[in-house]
Amino acid sequence: MSRGPSRALRRLGVAVVCLAAPVLASAQGPPQGPPQAALRPSAREAAPVDLTGTWVSVVSEDWRWRMVTPARGDFASIPLNAEGRRVGLEWDPDADEAAGRECKAYGAPAIMRRPGRVRITWENDETLQIETDAGMQTRLLHFGVPPLTTEPRSRQGYSVASWERPARGVGATEAFSLFSGRIGREPQSLEVRTTHVLPGYYRKNGPPYSENAVLQEYFDYHVQPNGDERFTVTAVVTDPVYLDGAFITSSDFKKEQDDDGWNPTPCSVR
Amino acid sequence: MKQLALFAILSLAYLDASAQIDFTGEWAPVYHEDAPERIPGPEIGDYMGLPLNDAGRLQADSWDADRISMVMQYQCRPHSSDYGMRGLGNMRVTREFDPQHLRLIAFRTYMPAWGSMRTIWLDGRAHPPAHAEHTFQGFSTGVWNGNRLTITTTHLKENYHRRNGVPSSDKRTVTEHWMRHGDILTVVTVVDDPAFFTEPLVRSQNWFLDPGQQVSQFYCEYVTELPPVTEDSIPHHLPGENPYVSEMAGWYGLPTEVLRGGAERMYPEYLLKMPEPETPPPAVCELYCNCSDFRSCL
Repeated sequence: MSRGPSRALRRLGVAVVCLAAPVLASAQGPPQGPPQAALRPSAREAAPVDLTGTWVSVVSEDWRWRMVTPARGDFASIPLNAEGRRVGLEWDPDADEAAGRECKAYGAPAIMRRPGRVRITWENDETLQIETDAGMQTRLLHFGVPPLTTEPRSRQGYSVASWERPARGVGATEAFSLFSGRIGREPQSLEVRTTHVLPGYYRKNGPPYSENAVLQEYFDYHVQPNGDERFTVTAVVTDPVYLDGAFITSSDFKKEQDDDGWNPTPCSVR
Repeated sequence: MKQLALFAILSLAYLDASAQIDFTGEWAPVYHEDAPERIPGPEIGDYMGLPLNDAGRLQADSWDADRISMVMQYQCRPHSSDYGMRGLGNMRVTREFDPQHLRLIAFRTYMPAWGSMRTIWLDGRAHPPAHAEHTFQGFSTGVWNGNRLTITTTHLKENYHRRNGVPSSDKRTVTEHWMRHGDILTVVTVVDDPAFFTEPLVRSQNWFLDPGQQVSQFYCEYVTELPPVTEDSIPHHLPGENPYVSEMAGWYGLPTEVLRGGAERMYPEYLLKMPEPETPPPAVCELYCNCSDFRSCL
């Protein structure tokens, strides 16, 4: 006659289940698969950080390429390939202006590097809006809504947003092991993937990106010891047409207490 | 069996200790911002993008690059940990665990440039008293804020904010935010230097994970490249007498005043009052036009 598990083993099992339950629960993250509108919090409700407000760009990097229009062919720091450099040297601001293409240096892969202010608001519970005073552009970041195959190309493209979960390798689900838990489970950053852009320039002097460019961004909020609220947006552009590898930058913004500095200015080619 | 149960319970107790993420690995720097300044090196008199005050400008203007050739103390001088993150920064990050409890107690960084090693303590220890030794790497402690590691570094020796003579004081405090997104590491550096800045300098740097990277040993040898004028001479320029501080404006067609830096020129409002350049910009780029990594910059 079998005696079954020993008392100690049964206690161990109970202890493991009790202790593992919260770990397993928190490891599951937001629901996957089809949306369950009734159960799932909205993107606004789920926001781990508040990025809304008016923010000013701090030009402590690339000053010479952002605050003034560089000379023709000055593509320093951009990993353009030979074709990108060739096309960049054909930059013709007069032709752009005559054709009504003044905003080519204000598209999604470039706009966060323009000196200026951005105003971030929730357009609705699932859409974050970024307005820029430089070039008077509007970006819409759609949470969980992929672009239609017929999505038209535009200067700001189509952006899909999510609250980024920490890296966990290629596994589809988080592994759970009895003696090694996961850490860093909570989302912290805003992750945005932008496609369907019109061709444009990274800078005003014509370094090109193509309509095949894909922009991946991570917005990180942080507070400084002096109380300043800031965010940094890390941007990774891939473009098989004009880039030799990914183009990676990070731009810094400081929160403002009011809108006094908001200065809408149309696009300009120089 | 009771011992096994106790072991299991104790192990599980550590599972949810705190939100942390792993920064260990071989990280290759990305020079897609300010590459000409960071690889070949900054031009004399280029203070753009720095919230420099008048004392900082005065000291920077007095700097003479011959110091490196003539004065031993300036040779083999390493980057400080704050400038090192901006400079030539291939980086290896390892972590150290408390051998008894297996808690993470420190990250260690190694950068081959000047063989710079830094320890970032995560075990809650306090910073040493103000009179303790100041070093080029300083004393660093980190705290977790979700998946972001915030590091505070004090006890830094005086050095430079930019390697064209822009001085940094031993009074500065450096705050860093380390953020990992997949295989990309972004480090925001906030330098508060009350001696030479009017507001904290905030910049951000990027690396990508490069498992095949082999960081090397660094060797630096002291050599007298130029004979000193006198035994104790320090190459320098007296106030207002440095003939090179405005050269760069002509090369790039910039208004001379923008080279002087300052917080007021780091914000969009400055675009409304920036003067016209004294010299028109060149028709076509002539210097470092495609500089974006070591291969293309040198």
